[in-house]
Amino acid sequence: MSTPAIVCRDVTKSYLTEKTVTPALRGINLEVNEGELFMLVGPSGCGKTSLISVIAGILNHDGGQCLIFGRDPNEMSEEERTAYRGKSVGFVFQSYNLIPTLTTTENVSIPLLLNEWNRLDATRRAEEMLAKVGLTNKSRSLPSELSGGQQQRVAIARALVHNPRLIVCDEPTSALDHTTGGEIMELFRQEALNGNRTLVIVTHDSRIFRFADRIGVMDDGQIVQVASSPSELQLDKTTKK
Amino acid sequence: MYLIALKMLVGNRGKFFAMLFGVALTSLIITQQSSIFIGLMSRTVGFIFDTPQPDLWVMDPKVQFVDDIKPLQDTKLFQVRGVDGVEWAVPLYKGQIRARLSNGTFQTCNVIGLDDASLVAGPPTMVEGSLADLRRADGVIVDEAAANGKLAKPGPNPDSPKIPLKVGDSLELNDNRAIVVGIARATRTFQSQPIVYTTYSRATRFAPRERKLLSFVLVKVRPGEDVHAVAARIAQQTGLSAYTGPEFKGITIRYFMKNTGIPINFGMAVGLGFLVGVAIVGQTFFSFIVDNMRYLGILKAMGAPNRLLFHMILLQTALVGVIGCCLGMGLASLTSIVSKNSELAFYMPWQVPVVTALATALITLITTAFSLSKVLNLEPGIVFRG
Repeated sequence: MSTPAIVCRDVTKSYLTEKTVTPALRGINLEVNEGELFMLVGPSGCGKTSLISVIAGILNHDGGQCLIFGRDPNEMSEEERTAYRGKSVGFVFQSYNLIPTLTTTENVSIPLLLNEWNRLDATRRAEEMLAKVGLTNKSRSLPSELSGGQQQRVAIARALVHNPRLIVCDEPTSALDHTTGGEIMELFRQEALNGNRTLVIVTHDSRIFRFADRIGVMDDGQIVQVASSPSELQLDKTTKK
Repeated sequence: MYLIALKMLVGNRGKFFAMLFGVALTSLIITQQSSIFIGLMSRTVGFIFDTPQPDLWVMDPKVQFVDDIKPLQDTKLFQVRGVDGVEWAVPLYKGQIRARLSNGTFQTCNVIGLDDASLVAGPPTMVEGSLADLRRADGVIVDEAAANGKLAKPGPNPDSPKIPLKVGDSLELNDNRAIVVGIARATRTFQSQPIVYTTYSRATRFAPRERKLLSFVLVKVRPGEDVHAVAARIAQQTGLSAYTGPEFKGITIRYFMKNTGIPINFGMAVGLGFLVGVAIVGQTFFSFIVDNMRYLGILKAMGAPNRLLFHMILLQTALVGVIGCCLGMGLASLTSIVSKNSELAFYMPWQVPVVTALATALITLITTAFSLSKVLNLEPGIVFRG
């Protein structure tokens, strides 16, 4: 029986502005197992990004409980939460977010340096990781010298390099063409899911739904459906591409 | 991570060089203006600096600074000599006398009349001739800068360079003939007038007729006597004021500080330099931080604690501060080398680079504090915004 990596019970989150309170999460109930690739889909503004921010320990939730590997980030001190993100979470972003003045190796080595690896070992490990994502000969290139697909591979290498237990991805294929998007998802399945790692991917891109173990559909701050295959999904037109 | 911080800084070349320029400009302005201010103030006391032999300068109590001459009666010299504890006391004439140049123009000169017997208070360095040559008929010693500049003779043609005054040439000082018997190097005066040394008796002959011509009495205190005690005795017994060299320098500098606009003008230049630095560096660094906000957010999301981000930003500003400060002070030092022996009053004691470095450190700290609040309040959630 699989062990749950993420357990969310009645998780709520609201954003306060000067005059209004905007609810983003309205009682999320979710379980994601170790070694599972879980996709979160839904229309813009439905709360997907808020949910992965809570799971990644970036955002505090207002109510309910969100246990990540048995601990709720809300109950951690600021230092513990920073350390949790540094050790246990890998991030992949829509617009890659590689630091433009650093080489690919330097970008990939950042999580290791944050975990107090020495520079030499971090560089060696980053180069190994770049080799795994097929970028052996690009280790000294700057992000601006790479294609979109190559930049996303670097971002994946950066997310995996410190061997985190959880990877959260925000629209990892939305800036890529169909073929490259497919390659990136293959890479995720090969590399990221090794070692019982858990992946949570927020996406609008219906072309990649087939790579998911399960798909959670969100609407208006709630998970309205969890499907085991794309064919089971009932999506409105705003979610489809 | 510190290497990463430096690469993030240097990689953004436009902003990096803009910040370096800002700090370099600031430290250049602060160093240069402070050095010129100190140079000018030093010139006001240049004559006292060049006259280290006496222990005490005796003068009219109303004298406010070294060029503020209130002549004394000649009998005051003998009164001073009669004070207990005085080893020797000699007269000194200091006044402005008009020199007529060979082309018919006039130049006001600072004439120093030295005691005929001892020639105490002569120029610090002789370039040509010797101090004893002043004993020759109509002899005067002219300072090198004036000999090559304000007192130089015109060339044969209007466009020709001036011919420096040399030993053997003559001058007309208030309708009296004077022969140049030596060229000396002396500290430039505040007004940059030529300095002409001669004997006391000759100086008083050159000077316009007045009842009193004695400017100062220079006193050497007997060995073992307390200088301040002797000064007090002189004041008590003669009604004159007696100051040590450093005291007289202090009185002169205080007069210029209090009664001229020099400190305000230079203070404003230094203050503006500082503000320009804060504005340029602060704005550019803030803009650099804003440009990098997304990447700092990524670092924060990936587990960089605020403490590390603070150290990274401090390192970045410190690097800009150190390199910029060195560049600015280097340029100021270059000005000092280029302007040596020129009209520019530039004197950079060790305190000036220290003050400049402190000012630069303050600018970088203000800049860091300004940008830091933005970074510390940064939500790592920024990374998920498209």
